[in-house]
Amino acid sequence: MRASRTEHLLSYAILAIASAFALYPLGLIIATGLQPDAVGAEGGIDFGNFADAWDEGNFGRYLQNSVIVAVAVVLLSAAVSSLAGYAFGTMRFRGSSVLFYLLLLGMMVPSEAIVIPLYYDLESIGLTNTYAALILPQVAQSLAFGTFWMRAYFRSASREVVEAARMDGAGHLRVFWSILLPMGRPALMTMVLLIFMWTWNEFLLPLVMLPNAEDLRTAPLGLSNFSGQYTSGTALLAAGAVLVALPVVIVYLITQRHFIRGMIEGAVKG
Amino acid sequence: MIQRRSIIGPRRRSAMRATVAAFAVTALALAACAPGEDSDGGEEAAPSDIETNVADMGDITLTVWDQQVRGGQAESIEALNAAFEEEYPNVTIDRVSRSFEDLQRVLRLAIQDDEAPDVVQANNNRSQMGAFVEAGLLRSLDGYADVYGWKDRYPESILAHSSYSDDGAVFGEGNLYGLPQTGELIGVWYNKAKLQQLGIEPPQSLADFEAALQAAKDAGELPIQFGNKDPWPGIHTFGFIQNMFADREEIRAFGYGNPGGDWTDEANTQAADELQSWVDAGYFTSGFNGIDYDPSWQDFANGEGVFLISGSWLLADLRDAMGDNVGFMLPPVGETGELTVTGATGLPFAVPTEGDNADAAAAYIDFITSPEAMQTLTEAGELPVVETDQQQVSGTQAEVFEAWGTAGSEGALVPYLDWGTPDAYTVISTGVQAFMGGDESTEELLGTFEEDYSSFVSENSGG
Amino acid sequence: MGRAPCRVRTYHENVVSPQAPRVTDVTEATPVARTPASRARPSRQGPPGEPRRVAYLYILPAFVFFAGFMAWPLLHGFWLTFYEWNGLTLGTWVGLDNYHAVLTDPELREPFGHSLILVIFFSVIPIVLGLTLAGLMMRARLRGMPFFRTVLFLPQVIAMVVVAIAWGHIYEPDGPLNDLLRTLGLDDLTQVWLGDPSWALVSVGIVGTWVGTGLCLILFLAGLSKVPRELYESARLDGAGAVREFLNVGLPALRGELAVAATLTMIAALRTFDLVYVMTPGGGPSGSTSVPSYEVYKRAFIDGEVGTAVTVAIVLTAIILLVTIGINRFAERGDEVRL
Repeated sequence: MRASRTEHLLSYAILAIASAFALYPLGLIIATGLQPDAVGAEGGIDFGNFADAWDEGNFGRYLQNSVIVAVAVVLLSAAVSSLAGYAFGTMRFRGSSVLFYLLLLGMMVPSEAIVIPLYYDLESIGLTNTYAALILPQVAQSLAFGTFWMRAYFRSASREVVEAARMDGAGHLRVFWSILLPMGRPALMTMVLLIFMWTWNEFLLPLVMLPNAEDLRTAPLGLSNFSGQYTSGTALLAAGAVLVALPVVIVYLITQRHFIRGMIEGAVKG
Repeated sequence: MIQRRSIIGPRRRSAMRATVAAFAVTALALAACAPGEDSDGGEEAAPSDIETNVADMGDITLTVWDQQVRGGQAESIEALNAAFEEEYPNVTIDRVSRSFEDLQRVLRLAIQDDEAPDVVQANNNRSQMGAFVEAGLLRSLDGYADVYGWKDRYPESILAHSSYSDDGAVFGEGNLYGLPQTGELIGVWYNKAKLQQLGIEPPQSLADFEAALQAAKDAGELPIQFGNKDPWPGIHTFGFIQNMFADREEIRAFGYGNPGGDWTDEANTQAADELQSWVDAGYFTSGFNGIDYDPSWQDFANGEGVFLISGSWLLADLRDAMGDNVGFMLPPVGETGELTVTGATGLPFAVPTEGDNADAAAAYIDFITSPEAMQTLTEAGELPVVETDQQQVSGTQAEVFEAWGTAGSEGALVPYLDWGTPDAYTVISTGVQAFMGGDESTEELLGTFEEDYSSFVSENSGG
Repeated sequence: MGRAPCRVRTYHENVVSPQAPRVTDVTEATPVARTPASRARPSRQGPPGEPRRVAYLYILPAFVFFAGFMAWPLLHGFWLTFYEWNGLTLGTWVGLDNYHAVLTDPELREPFGHSLILVIFFSVIPIVLGLTLAGLMMRARLRGMPFFRTVLFLPQVIAMVVVAIAWGHIYEPDGPLNDLLRTLGLDDLTQVWLGDPSWALVSVGIVGTWVGTGLCLILFLAGLSKVPRELYESARLDGAGAVREFLNVGLPALRGELAVAATLTMIAALRTFDLVYVMTPGGGPSGSTSVPSYEVYKRAFIDGEVGTAVTVAIVLTAIILLVTIGINRFAERGDEVRL
């Protein structure tokens, strides 16, 4: 049942073409970002655009904001999800199924449904134009997924280890903190990466929550604003775009196995 | 599973009932109170309460939103901001600049937010300023106008462009809601060298202009540079041609949203047909519906195109790129036999109700429209809205000033078409875009315009 | 006489995607390999002992967030749909008028129609392409898959704003796409992609295809590779050709992956906002790329019609919920674990 030679070649051809197709737009903006930027300039390579985007375009500031928000969301979500996931996954308590499915429902609610009322709610308590307006809702949005993920992990965590620890007299907290959490590193890692990426790439929420806080803009929002405002030179815009996409891409490339495998092959390996 | 259910059963059911009841009660309670608050209308400061001495106001940060993103405009506003900060060291200006299209999209949310900016440049059309006034989002500037003497320096007709009744229903009279810095008119920029090469004089009549276009086309040049992707430039192009067929009063009716016009009449039909014939003859940049405004005028500056139908606001940038090679002329006189020019003022500066530093904001506005400021504007390559004849200008700038002067003295200025109704901006811009792209006929185009215009007019006068 | 191939053991994975975040396959993970000891005990029961009250403490933080930033705004929003409100002054009660408008006003229905078209480009085409290509490739044992996987998955990772800018450049009248057409001598086919009402939506759709195809291909390849070789061989022995092999052996095995791919891509299509906002601002030429989420934003924050806006949002949410549940129902029907 070996595949024939032609099938082999065909497969590689398909992969090659698909890869080229996937990479082309990204290669394009990188190339565009490297061109000199001015009305009436000649071609050539110019890294200056990236520096300009950082300063003039304020992208240094925007990237910083993105980091602050993403890290905060990840930490909070990881902590809260792990706790909740642990409880759902290992403890018996009344209403656990109902509560869990309620949380699951939260996963299916798109941000569009809540962003408008949320804006007015936060505005009335003066939280718009703050980091909190970006962090807290996104934690809530990540929680449903996070809890689901961690619950699945904890459920299938090896019973023997837990029981052994229990028989040694360890309470729930100790089991959680010293045993299961370290063992769950791959699962935790995947969850962290995904939440990081979603939060970094989030656009609608910052657009609505920061109408007057120029300096709190996250990177994608800053980029969109820049695109509307900058009247000359696509090269500078392209450089800015590359800067915005870069962090997630770098993290992705480093941890790609976690990303992809985590997404495709299931929450926890048995 | 079954065991569990029967144990929990009755309790669960009564819990459910309780939840439903709670929901119902909450729902009823919520239904009783509506969202939002009663507006106190645009607050008006009495002249006696107005503080004009900025130095006494303590440390303030003044947040100013403007749309002066292009070279020359940016230069002038930054110079003025620096001068203001120098004169009043207790004030820091936080400048936020946005493009015209962007401003259109984000302004409403920004000024209703509790951290609204102190000063914004708001488009004086009905869909922006009119809507904001109706929602009570802008302060009336009448008190400030008295104190600072704006009514003496600015002609009535200019101030009318930024005036609305306090419910936003009437445009052109009522309270003053904004003060503009610059004047604006839509004319024809032309590449002097190319015109010379073609052996043509700047055309003064429609027939001459058409001949020039054809000559350019025949010589392999691009007659009219044009980019309409974010479709507001199309409004100006359409208006430009319309001015040669329809009379001033009718255009003013459209522009102010007052009764008396008919989009489907002979004159407007001819205008639309004329535009169509220009598109068909290939006078415009190919693929114009995919080209943004800024790249298009930049292409013109780089030598692509003989004519560019756009506003005087491009003076500084075109002058920088093309030097004396760029010329500006008034639109040609058309079938009406009289000169009609779309033009008014640059976006006026307004004060949001939710902003914190109203008095400082007004003082700032006064500063950036003062006689000295008008001079700064001139030096930066802009067209100041008042005291134009007192400025020293030469070259292309002088051409622009002259055009402005002529248009004013002949009473030839007519408002922008998108000012007239709350939806006019969208209806006209998208309509012209579709029309020029060949997706709508003249009847369809003028039909949608008429529908929007007449339904607004009848609603407005009845209500 | 054909013999039906053995029912392939199917199981569902937890799969999530970046572009349609926070929605996963609702069914639970039931990893296949298990040690005998743990298999003996049903996984429902937790550790022995009474139900723990302390569990509530563990889940409390999660529910505080949930209540404050998810449940409450949702209810608040639902309440807003019964009013006509400009976001500032007092709103007026309009009962079900907003819902009526969404169902009948052509201006409000159009965005949903556009979404439907986008579903075809974002979801149907990538799935079909993914299936076809995976099917073509399924028998070859390929090297370098990790590299290809990384590259093919990349579009899912890039912020949509960046994607919008990159593709906006490609679609320019003098951009790479039209250049390509001209070099191929197909000058007549060049369009003003983003400026032409007839082409703008399709152009947006193609971007969605670009984003989704890699994901689908990877998903299906992974799914197919889990099918034991024996099943293919037994199909072969029955005289099945390549196509038959795929249809009878491969495809049924992909039920889970199909569900996941469908859910992720369809929700991505329904929730598109960033792409449209940045690449075709203002709802595109003649509003031809207006989508529900854009309409939500525009009505609330540009036009000052909050009641209508939230109504559109709620209707969109309902559609997304229905789609998710529907797809999961479809997937569950195949949830048979047999040997």
